[in-house]
Amino acid sequence: MNRRKIEENIFRCFMVLSTFMVVGSLALILVTIFLKGFPALNLDMLIKTPKGGYYIGKEGGILNAILGSIILGIGATFLALIVSLPLVFYLNLYVRKKSKFALIVRFFLDVLWGIPSIVYGAFGFTLMIFFGLRASLLAAMITVALLIIPIMARSMDEVLKMIPFELKEASFALGSTRLETAVKVIFKQALPGIITSILIAFGRGIGDAAAVLFTASFTDSLPYSLFKPVATLPLAIFFQLGTPFPEVQERGYASALVLTGIIFLISIVSRILSKKFSKRIIK
Amino acid sequence: MECKTHISVRDLSVFYGGAQVLNNISIDIPDKKLTAIIGPSGCGKTTLLKSLNRIIDLQDGVRVSGQVFVDGEDIYDPKVEVTHLRKKMGLLLQRPQILPMSIYENVVYGPRIHGVRNKKKLDGLVQCYLKVSGLWNEVKDRLHSPATRLSIGQQQRLCLARGLAVEPEVILGDEPTSALDPISAERIEQRLLELKSQYTVVLVTHNLRQAKRLADYVIFLYLGNLIEHGPTEQILKNPKYVKTQNYINGEFIEELTIDKELNLKATVCPDNFAKAKLALEELKHGQVLKIVVDYEVAVNEVPKAMEFEGHKVLEIKRINQKDWEILIQKRNGVYTI
Repeated sequence: MNRRKIEENIFRCFMVLSTFMVVGSLALILVTIFLKGFPALNLDMLIKTPKGGYYIGKEGGILNAILGSIILGIGATFLALIVSLPLVFYLNLYVRKKSKFALIVRFFLDVLWGIPSIVYGAFGFTLMIFFGLRASLLAAMITVALLIIPIMARSMDEVLKMIPFELKEASFALGSTRLETAVKVIFKQALPGIITSILIAFGRGIGDAAAVLFTASFTDSLPYSLFKPVATLPLAIFFQLGTPFPEVQERGYASALVLTGIIFLISIVSRILSKKFSKRIIK
Repeated sequence: MECKTHISVRDLSVFYGGAQVLNNISIDIPDKKLTAIIGPSGCGKTTLLKSLNRIIDLQDGVRVSGQVFVDGEDIYDPKVEVTHLRKKMGLLLQRPQILPMSIYENVVYGPRIHGVRNKKKLDGLVQCYLKVSGLWNEVKDRLHSPATRLSIGQQQRLCLARGLAVEPEVILGDEPTSALDPISAERIEQRLLELKSQYTVVLVTHNLRQAKRLADYVIFLYLGNLIEHGPTEQILKNPKYVKTQNYINGEFIEELTIDKELNLKATVCPDNFAKAKLALEELKHGQVLKIVVDYEVAVNEVPKAMEFEGHKVLEIKRINQKDWEILIQKRNGVYTI
């Protein structure tokens, strides 16, 4: 057989192998969590808060953590959004394309993206003390927002960079200001991508344990105040898996299943939404 | 009719980074006429056009010196509101760039940002300008469906309607027909001809036949310099300068001698392709074949196929309601796949 054909086959094998490794590991994670967690999952877990002794195997559920995580995730995503949107519009419409400033900002965002979340947790903790806040939903929201701003901003930035120059030109040629172009034209064109960025950031925020370890603390009650500690799913999983009791550990897997389920749901919703909004955009 | 000046360019130079793209251009563009800017690729045609409404400011690293007077006001004066200036000029780009919204929203986008809020008035504007651009009958039942569903030719007419809806005084066209099929291009040309009685039209084109068909006044640029300008007849027939002569002779044959005629009316694919190809094979290099077709698909497809074969399509022209004339020059370049 000729050499080129062998080459072709070898590299093709590599590619197929890599693809299967990625897809396979996702499948494996899902199967493991499902097998270990599903038997322990019951309705009580989803609709009840932990009763006394929950962590040594007594009655209750993790509703506190489910609600806490969702509220924290939404709040942090919202905070991150109101910072990221203006930032990326500024970078893409107001600043010259090749300016040093934009380059530096993008570099900073990339660095921030790479900082481990425990560092954000520690930073959030310092901020908290500085402002005299106690471990609370608000402090956790701010910390998680800081964590996901670079993710959100950078992915939105990539979306806005892809917008054809001619579209801006067409809008400006009609006599619109930068703001009108940004809000009425670019935003519409970028909306599917922006939604995806938001939901990626949300998924990242809701699943992070280290950032909320010091800042959110943990509580058995439902979230009811911005200034009170809040329970989160990642920490609930952490605590349950950390106990020496097998049945509680199983509940930990069940909680992980719930968290994975939420993230899975978000991915699907984001697909549907961006498809819905991409009807009008220019290909 | 007296030729009033609408736009005066004085000593305009444009630099991209270190490179000078336009060199001391001074010219008066006549009012309510169609002016064509012609010249070889990269000579600064588009740059000149885009410096008229300062859309060139959007490019990175552009420096402009000199003055451009529109209605007696220097538009490069820092005090000038650039949005007002741009409102005065409708811009048609090479590839139609529709906005990511419905057909209706595309047209009212301009008027809305300039303060028209009244629903009735907006509806009126939409109807009026879609009629002017000749799109109304095709889209009146689906005004609120996304504009992306329109064909590219329809999109260009939508862009024209959108540009007109802000009630400009000038229409700038940057080769607005070059990305379109012959039929759509002809429609846009028709619109431009109709509009030049009310608007000052400035058109960049690389197609001298188009300039001849449409323009009253021609500006010839060469490597960023203004070589010659004047009424179309004069420039295309008796150019004064050698550079203009060379360009015009290279690109454009004033009186085409047609060496062979072929009637392809009522002939469909693949017959018409085969016949056209055979006829061209009989010709010598440089000779011209005239084809007459009466079938819309053939108008678009036959020239494309002949160009693919390596021949040069000189002109596609509507001669009456149904029939189109296509002029093809035989070239020896043989393309094989």
